[in-house]
Amino acid sequence: MNYAVVLAPDFALQAVLRNDPALFGKPVALAEGEGRKAQLSQVSVEAFTVAPGLAVALAMARCPGLLIRPRDPTAESEANRVLLAAAFTLSPRVEATSDGCCTVDLQGAEAGPTEERMHEAVAELAASGLRVRIGAGATPLLATYAAHRGEPVLVVRAATDFLAPLSIDAAQPTPTQAAVLHGWGIKTLGQFTALPKAEIARRLGTEGVALWERATGETMRVLRHVEPVKTFAAEWVYDPPVESLEPLLFRLRRYAERVALELRGAGYVAEQLTLTLFLEDETDQGRDFRLPEPSANLDGWMRILQAHLDTVQTAARVIGVRLTAKHARPPLKQDGLFDIGLRDPAAFWENLARMGAIVGDHCVGTPTVLDSWQPDSVVLEKPAESVPAPEPEPMHPPRGLTLRRFRPPWPARLAFLENRPVTVDADHTRHEVLAARGPFRSSGSWWDPTKNWMMDVWHIEVSSGAVYQVVQTPQGWCVEGVLD
Amino acid sequence: MPSPPTTIAALRSLLAVRFPERSRRSTGVVRTGIRSIDDALEGGLHAGKITELVSTAPGTGGQTVLAQLLRVTRVARQRVALIDGANGFVAEDIPADALKHLVWVRAHGAAEALAATDIAARDGNYAVVIVDLRGLSERTLLKSPASTWHRLRHAIASGTSALLVQTTTPLVPAVSWRLLLQAPPSPGMRRSSRAALADALTVEVTRGHVEIEEESA
Repeated sequence: MNYAVVLAPDFALQAVLRNDPALFGKPVALAEGEGRKAQLSQVSVEAFTVAPGLAVALAMARCPGLLIRPRDPTAESEANRVLLAAAFTLSPRVEATSDGCCTVDLQGAEAGPTEERMHEAVAELAASGLRVRIGAGATPLLATYAAHRGEPVLVVRAATDFLAPLSIDAAQPTPTQAAVLHGWGIKTLGQFTALPKAEIARRLGTEGVALWERATGETMRVLRHVEPVKTFAAEWVYDPPVESLEPLLFRLRRYAERVALELRGAGYVAEQLTLTLFLEDETDQGRDFRLPEPSANLDGWMRILQAHLDTVQTAARVIGVRLTAKHARPPLKQDGLFDIGLRDPAAFWENLARMGAIVGDHCVGTPTVLDSWQPDSVVLEKPAESVPAPEPEPMHPPRGLTLRRFRPPWPARLAFLENRPVTVDADHTRHEVLAARGPFRSSGSWWDPTKNWMMDVWHIEVSSGAVYQVVQTPQGWCVEGVLD
Repeated sequence: MPSPPTTIAALRSLLAVRFPERSRRSTGVVRTGIRSIDDALEGGLHAGKITELVSTAPGTGGQTVLAQLLRVTRVARQRVALIDGANGFVAEDIPADALKHLVWVRAHGAAEALAATDIAARDGNYAVVIVDLRGLSERTLLKSPASTWHRLRHAIASGTSALLVQTTTPLVPAVSWRLLLQAPPSPGMRRSSRAALADALTVEVTRGHVEIEEESA
């Protein structure tokens, strides 16, 4: 098993079908040519009463519900990229042989895992709307023969036994050669290759020898390898523009599938996704999604993107979308024996990203207090994989009520009598001050004119018994929070 | 001499027996560390249940409950999610070590808070999910459809987390427990240690452990 061929039958039709959910399960045919000369080129299985080559008018008469579509070069180009991305998950040496066909050089790969991976690739492509067959053999030609007969994967180990019953048409004889062979009573490759090569050369010439070599499956050729992608992005347009979530998500999933496959083929995962919506009013709306646990899991991506899109309202219809994945190497980690880890790590990281998609990536995480007395000197960091063992209780445990901050703070007006506040006006209410402690002055970053800060803090008890934290800054007075 | 364990699972079991304090895990009830609340809730917050803690006035101790719950769950190495609807949590007021198990979600309003809660409630990695809706417009919260809470109740019931909802007015329909914090601590207690303040908090139970019959499909 040195080579594999990934083949998508009726590729042009599949490319159209996978892009339009309205066509699923309906009789569809692709037409080529114009006017009266237009004829069907490929037909879906549902259109079983018509066949390729039939004139469109006749086909419509035979199958009244038949949906006729032209070929879609953009959809075919995207489907080819999906096919290539899947091929790169088998090996880094891939040839884009033709539309809907890739040849993969598997030399040096382990047979067992590679065959398993082929089945996975078939399933991934099927989920992406592409039905493929994969054949593998000692030569690219043998792999091609196998791909045409793969259901869905066929690995040829004994070439002679595999080729013997195949029709001679598989070796693609010219019409002249086909007539001669028919005259000889040759119907299968096995019958043809049983004839001596020298006698074939004498009777059919060099073309006959080439046919004989094709029939043995031994013809070798040098693959023209394509470069794996280095940027992981997809961009597409909607015509007509979309205004609801469902069609947007459908295409988004299709393109995200390809990007995820390309990442996996290159041995990467995504650490950040960027989604940009292009709107009809010529503006765009972009958003970055940091993935706390880098991954190339499509379902996880989609849940994160959908969590964001569920909350998005645009001023105009969406005419295009761009999805970009920032790649990274998959993280490696080793759990400790005593670690109390996550019950479901995949769900944890995915849900973290989903919550980030709703409230903002910078608004989700484990708080870490910075080495500063300035209020709100806190950053949110990625939560730990496992909760570490607690440190001993501090020598001087915290005292007093805990502050609950008002963000933004309430602007306030204070009245003073003999340097003590007597009333506070805030939140449309006047409060009589029963008791007050302060001012507690704090300041910092005096050496940096852009960051220096200073405030006087008062703790003020009002008639309800609640204690508010009121601060005076150069900007004025405000109620910063309540001791709760 | 007994034979050594042959599998990791057997080794973990052996270690759990030898070092029980090392292998503490959620037992379905999460202690809050506040005597009055733990007594009222028959041990603490129950996994699979919603508990509503209503702070009827500012300064009645809702944030002290949160601080104490963080301290106790930190000791038990249980993960906690705080969905902060009005973004009122002050991390620098809590000892740094008591934050290491916390995932703080700083929401910007009721819609974001409830959407994030729906996700956290289904996660399964949190012992407690705390939703702080104090500071949000009561009118907006009361307008949120009952189906939101119905969904949350189902999400929590099928998971392993306990859900604590902090509000300023009774809000959550079909809640298992509703506790009211009504009076601020006395002035003499205000400079006491947090543990003492927590012990001094009193709660009133207005609704106690009502099992809701699941609707048959």
